[in-house]
Amino acid sequence: MYFLRRIGFFLLTLWGAVTLNFFIPRISGGDPAAVMAQKIAGKGEQVTPAQIDAIRAMIGAPDIPIWEQYVQYLGNTVRGDFGVSMSYFPYTVTHMIGEAMWWTIVLVGVTLILSFIIGTLFGTWVAWRRGTTFDTVMTVGASFIGTLPFFWIALLLIWGLSYTLGWFPASGGYSGFFEPGFTPEFIGDAAHHFALPALALLITGPIGWMLGMRNNMVQSLGEDHSRFGRAKGLSGRTLAIHYGARVAILPNVTGLAMALGAMIGGTVLVEQIFQYPGMGRLLFDAVGNHDYALSQAVFLFIAIGVLVANLLADMLYGILDPRARRKEAS
Amino acid sequence: MNSRLAPRAAAGIAALAVTGAALAACSPATSEGSADAAGMIPVVQLGDFGGGSNPQVNYNPFSANRLGVIWGIYDTLMTTNGYDCSETPELATEYEWVTPSELHLTLRENVTWNDGEPFTAEDVAYTFGIINDNAALDLTGLGAHLESAEAVGENEAVLTFDAPSVADTPKILATSIVPEHVWSQQEDPVTYTAEEAVGTGMFTVKSFTPQRVSMQKNPDYWDADKVKVQEVRFVKDGEAQINQLNLAKGMYDAQYMYVPDIEDTYVKADPDHHGYWFAPGSPISLLMNNAKAPFDDLAFRAAIMHGIDKETLVKRAGEGYTTVASQTSLVVPGMDSWLDPSIADKGVIPFDAQKADELLTAAGYATDSDGRRLGKDGEPLAFTFITPQGWDDWTRAANEVVRSFEDLGIEVTLNTPEFQTFEVDRRQGNYDLLFGVRGGTCSMFQNFNEPLHSDNTAPIGKDATTNESRFSDPAVDALLDQLRNAKTPEEQKPIVVELQKAMIEKVPFVPLWYGARWFEYNTARVDGWPTEDDPYAAASDNTIIFKRLAPADGE
Repeated sequence: MYFLRRIGFFLLTLWGAVTLNFFIPRISGGDPAAVMAQKIAGKGEQVTPAQIDAIRAMIGAPDIPIWEQYVQYLGNTVRGDFGVSMSYFPYTVTHMIGEAMWWTIVLVGVTLILSFIIGTLFGTWVAWRRGTTFDTVMTVGASFIGTLPFFWIALLLIWGLSYTLGWFPASGGYSGFFEPGFTPEFIGDAAHHFALPALALLITGPIGWMLGMRNNMVQSLGEDHSRFGRAKGLSGRTLAIHYGARVAILPNVTGLAMALGAMIGGTVLVEQIFQYPGMGRLLFDAVGNHDYALSQAVFLFIAIGVLVANLLADMLYGILDPRARRKEAS
Repeated sequence: MNSRLAPRAAAGIAALAVTGAALAACSPATSEGSADAAGMIPVVQLGDFGGGSNPQVNYNPFSANRLGVIWGIYDTLMTTNGYDCSETPELATEYEWVTPSELHLTLRENVTWNDGEPFTAEDVAYTFGIINDNAALDLTGLGAHLESAEAVGENEAVLTFDAPSVADTPKILATSIVPEHVWSQQEDPVTYTAEEAVGTGMFTVKSFTPQRVSMQKNPDYWDADKVKVQEVRFVKDGEAQINQLNLAKGMYDAQYMYVPDIEDTYVKADPDHHGYWFAPGSPISLLMNNAKAPFDDLAFRAAIMHGIDKETLVKRAGEGYTTVASQTSLVVPGMDSWLDPSIADKGVIPFDAQKADELLTAAGYATDSDGRRLGKDGEPLAFTFITPQGWDDWTRAANEVVRSFEDLGIEVTLNTPEFQTFEVDRRQGNYDLLFGVRGGTCSMFQNFNEPLHSDNTAPIGKDATTNESRFSDPAVDALLDQLRNAKTPEEQKPIVVELQKAMIEKVPFVPLWYGARWFEYNTARVDGWPTEDDPYAAASDNTIIFKRLAPADGE
């Protein structure tokens, strides 16, 4: 019953997300063809009515009522047909997402997992040494770095490591000298481009995990079972890892599941600054271009990612914590 | 009344021949640096090639999403020089309007497609045919009144229009010609991305990745002797600041972008080689909604024409990169030959706040004791100015306009809505004041017809196609209808002179400044770019420029 209920809730939320995806861009109004023509011409450049008409003919302005469009859209979405991207016509949405997705999965996936590991380890360490100078320096320092604007850190890295020292390229996912593919040259080139955005993400990424871990653990170390362990004469290490960290890590694991689910949306800011060819930039441009089909599909993928992660976390909780199931039933 | 533009075409050929000779003469025998022994340039490095943030292959020259490299792959009929409007023959050697709606084209012989097939008049007929049949490929609007396109013999084609179309000459000549034998095999020319890139142009595609595109010299190009460039590379632009750093480092041989404080940030980095030329482009004008009071009053508009401080606007908002626009709406000095010589200062109206004040008061717009300018109903005048969000140079310029209005005692509120909202308001006439950009092309008819003809406007609440200031005047309409039928520059000129007078006497709108055509060049490796001192072509006229480029002398 508990699991059926969760799945029903998942489907309902998914339908809500799909529907919002359809209506929100259309409420904002404006003429997508005119926006696209101006985008191609550039800010403040002349656009002729002929260009707008041609674009309108190309993307096919719908002449059926919005409700029929909605029904059509629902049907197409269920079949997995996301249509043709307007700003990349004649390429399909599926093609565009297929190209961008892997960049984001690698960049965000790798940095997220590394951030999680680094953050959690430091959080444990700092919590164990709570109240010491080390704790103060780490906690205050991390909080301070966490308040710095991300783009500022990113630009500083570009200036320092790319321009001054020339170690890494400043932008792009790869240089374009090698054909994209699983060749050593291309992978090396892509890794070289990967370094700077990954570093930028790794500077701020672990902070949240670290502070969360520290606070959870300080709390669990203060609880009865920890006090009991200390009274039993357990060693500090055993106490920290088995009594403190094991309990404290649970909320962080849930957080990681959610973050992995949201990953598909990419990190718009980092991809924008480093001109990284991933989902974040694709989404940013699709929204700016009024590319309904493309932005709808990207939003849909984000929603599905988050919802699936949510569902899995719920299921996991149901299995791990019997109280969750019992509460539902009563 | 047969009009032949052959003399102009011949002049173009002669100019090219002279250039070729000059190049041959000054090509260094002992070339150094990047030039190889044959006096060739191994690589010309340019910037972006279009296609959005994740570019995909699209060499369909009629697609709105085409990549910016198509100028190298395909030839047009003729290149119309974007600076002085002269014509350089490419696939057409001559053209003639037999009647104002029938165009005869004489085509170049012995041209081959880069797949080895011969180019014929059938290809030209086919190209115009697909534009005619597919609204989605008709980016210039030619198809709307093209009736037929036929090949007459091996190297002659005839285009027939259902209305006088002489004014469309630049658009017709600028059409990229595609091969029938390749394109007719495709299912749908609208969704065809032309991955094979079969053209007659001076370059062929060497490689493509979304990050970088490279073209190499086409050895079978009909004018191959003049092309000294072996490869052209385009690289995806990064963030603006990063681009500027790359530019300063000398990474590009040419770039086409806005750069703040260019003397310090670019020229200073290598004063011997770094240069720029920001040629004046289409004028940006202050549009006053002619369908609303008090802008429906000519006396009011004329006063405003004198009362906007354009010099300060150009200095502060335009960083002095551009110049003050002529009220005639012609782009000077490029279009000087069209100017009415009896108009003072090329039609640049000097700023005169005193005069504006007097004109307003005389027209019945007096000021009250607080210095506020009153409308004819006795209420203080207050307007709203709209400009799109994020168009920073327009916003700065709008602030200067607001200041000028305030000096005349008129309160103006500046709003910056999103572009899509701005665009709808502009078209439907829901505004008092805004900036518009029309004109500056090589078709005088288009330049004046789009913003002035009453056919192109609509009542408030309905879409106006191009006449967004909603100006309407039967005498001006009559002049424009005459200009539509004028076949030669000689016939067109007296009408254009009358239209310039109308611009000054009837003040439909107020041209303020010329949009700059951003262009930075670097002569460390490659010489021969057009410059302010040698404006032989607009910076965008690649097919002219790439026949002039030569290896730098080296030092």
